[in-house]
Amino acid sequence: MNEIPVFFLHGLAYAGLLFLVSAGLTLVFGMMNVLNFAHAAMYMLGAYFSYSIMMHFTGQFWLSLMVCPAILFIIGALIERFLLRRVHKFGHVQELLLTFGLAYIITELVKWYWGNYPLAVNIGGFLGSTIQIIGITYPVYRIFIFLCAIFVGTVMALILYKTRLGIILRAAVNDSEMTNTLGVNVPLVFMGVFAFGAALSGFAGVIAGPLLSTFPGMAQEILLDAFVVIVVGGFGSLGGAVVASLLIGQLQSFGVLLFPKLSIALVYLLMAVVLIIKPSGLFGEEQ
Amino acid sequence: MRRKFFGGLCILSMVLMLALPVGALAQDTIKIGVTEPLSGTFKDIGERYLDGVLYAAQVINEGGGLLGKKVEVVPVDSELKPDVATRKAQNLILKDGVKFFTGGTGSSVGAAMAQLAEKQNVIMFTYGMDAASMTGEKCNKNFFRPGGSTDGRSFALAQLVVKMGYKKIAIIGQDYSFGHEALAAFKKRIAQISPSTKIVCELYHPAGTKDYGPYVSQIIAAKPDAIFTPNWGNDLTLLLKQGRPMGMNQKIFDYYINDEVTIEALGNDSLIIGSMGAEIWTISMPTKKNEAFVNKFYKDKKRWPSYCAGKAYTATMFWAEAIKKAGTTDVAAVIKAWEGLSFDGPAGVWTMRAGDHQGQVPYWYTEIVAKNKYFKHAFEAPRGMATAKSVEVSLAETGCKMKK
Repeated sequence: MNEIPVFFLHGLAYAGLLFLVSAGLTLVFGMMNVLNFAHAAMYMLGAYFSYSIMMHFTGQFWLSLMVCPAILFIIGALIERFLLRRVHKFGHVQELLLTFGLAYIITELVKWYWGNYPLAVNIGGFLGSTIQIIGITYPVYRIFIFLCAIFVGTVMALILYKTRLGIILRAAVNDSEMTNTLGVNVPLVFMGVFAFGAALSGFAGVIAGPLLSTFPGMAQEILLDAFVVIVVGGFGSLGGAVVASLLIGQLQSFGVLLFPKLSIALVYLLMAVVLIIKPSGLFGEEQ
Repeated sequence: MRRKFFGGLCILSMVLMLALPVGALAQDTIKIGVTEPLSGTFKDIGERYLDGVLYAAQVINEGGGLLGKKVEVVPVDSELKPDVATRKAQNLILKDGVKFFTGGTGSSVGAAMAQLAEKQNVIMFTYGMDAASMTGEKCNKNFFRPGGSTDGRSFALAQLVVKMGYKKIAIIGQDYSFGHEALAAFKKRIAQISPSTKIVCELYHPAGTKDYGPYVSQIIAAKPDAIFTPNWGNDLTLLLKQGRPMGMNQKIFDYYINDEVTIEALGNDSLIIGSMGAEIWTISMPTKKNEAFVNKFYKDKKRWPSYCAGKAYTATMFWAEAIKKAGTTDVAAVIKAWEGLSFDGPAGVWTMRAGDHQGQVPYWYTEIVAKNKYFKHAFEAPRGMATAKSVEVSLAETGCKMKK
């Protein structure tokens, strides 16, 4: 079985993509208790902005990797400030409906502006080449995706658990009134969290562009996967998202090799098993 | 009691609605309803098909119309949903007296439309719905397929693969009826004509797969010298886009390789150059009638017809021939006239087999090359054809038992 290493690499690359897509979603849910249905639509926006940037500044992938999350950060901040905050007092269903509606509006805007057909996003240079790794020729870009996921995961963990900002964040989540009285601008904190979540989705969109297709259906396609990751990992748990991504990535990869007939169902079987054993997900807190 | 009364009232009013308009119609045009997805994800394909029917109507009308009447195209947005398509079509049948329908996207829509056509005694024909079963076990007298089928395409490509001397083939398709039918027909034909040719790898992936890595690695490990796939749209794009960099360099034989939108979406010609396909209409077919059609289309519209438009155009012209032969728009007469009719059009001679209403059509091979006169990106060049006879599936094998 000299195929095992390459399937392991496939699993890692796909896990990286899954983590990047679901990190922002689980962060926003964990911190703000908002299930952001527009998350995947923002991921799509990231991919489309990246397309436009790479068209304008011929192939400036690194530029779009920095600019797109910044644009999405601003969009996210505006959405939180002017829309989400207003419906917050009406409860979760209203928040859900709002993000649901936003997802539709963003999708239609994308179709209207960029057109209802797939666009070409390709990557050249070193990232678009292949390297020899443990005796296999493997695309650099797939390894790059995994490295990006490690980078994002590490940065998030460091901010949350090692900085003052992280302490404020966790305090605001635990007891927002008390934190507010202590002189912390809690609404601003939440705005920041939502904007950061949006930036993460934009980052994931840029990363996905050269691997997948940039088309108006890409949001719907990825949303389901992202939900499976955070359901399996536990809603709101960053560590859970890491473990669930790795698990699902490998399951997808080796599933295709070992149980080809079941490959469609394997991920959902995993989800069902997890939900039966631990309904809150692997790392979710019991409510 | 009250409920019964209202129920009765509803039925009564429905009956009135059905009865009224039909007699009141003034038939000064021949209407043809085109059920295509004109919104949503597959809008682009639906519009390109509709383009062909519209152009056929334009050409017919420029030439004096059909039986002295103008042809009027009525676009119907099927939303790719069988129930939506049939509901809207039903309306057109009852309110506007539309007797002819066509469409090319979604075999499920086609199957539902075929049933409706039989029930309401109108005609439905397709130029793009390929599931073999539609003129097989599901056939009926009101449904015609002047276009191709999974059987025809797979046979044509299997014959090409064998003719070019490939001995070890990997086959990969989408994991639903279309993919399975296509791969089964390919395997069947290979076994018939070249038992020494081996299928070294057979894979099915969910439609809309995002990571092709695990599939591509299995193909590479099987060391084939050619790959066959009926994949289309995104499933073709990603197979090439993710597979080529991993070292999947074999020649690819695909159903819908000459799709300019797919090629453009790849954004990198080197991924697809050298791949081959088989279609019932391709822009590069070297027939006089096709050159005339393509050039006129370009002159009128300042753009080239898509393969969707070409298929829809040719099939609609075939339908018009049947009406001309019948000399009336009476459905029974048109059905009778179309059965066994031959049409020498842009794509060679198409013959409508009476037994199952499956068009017996030649398939035209294409290869994707860098330089072409149509687009800046890579596109097709002609590579000969498979005659209708060579890809024929005998009537007995189709499983069609038509009630006449």
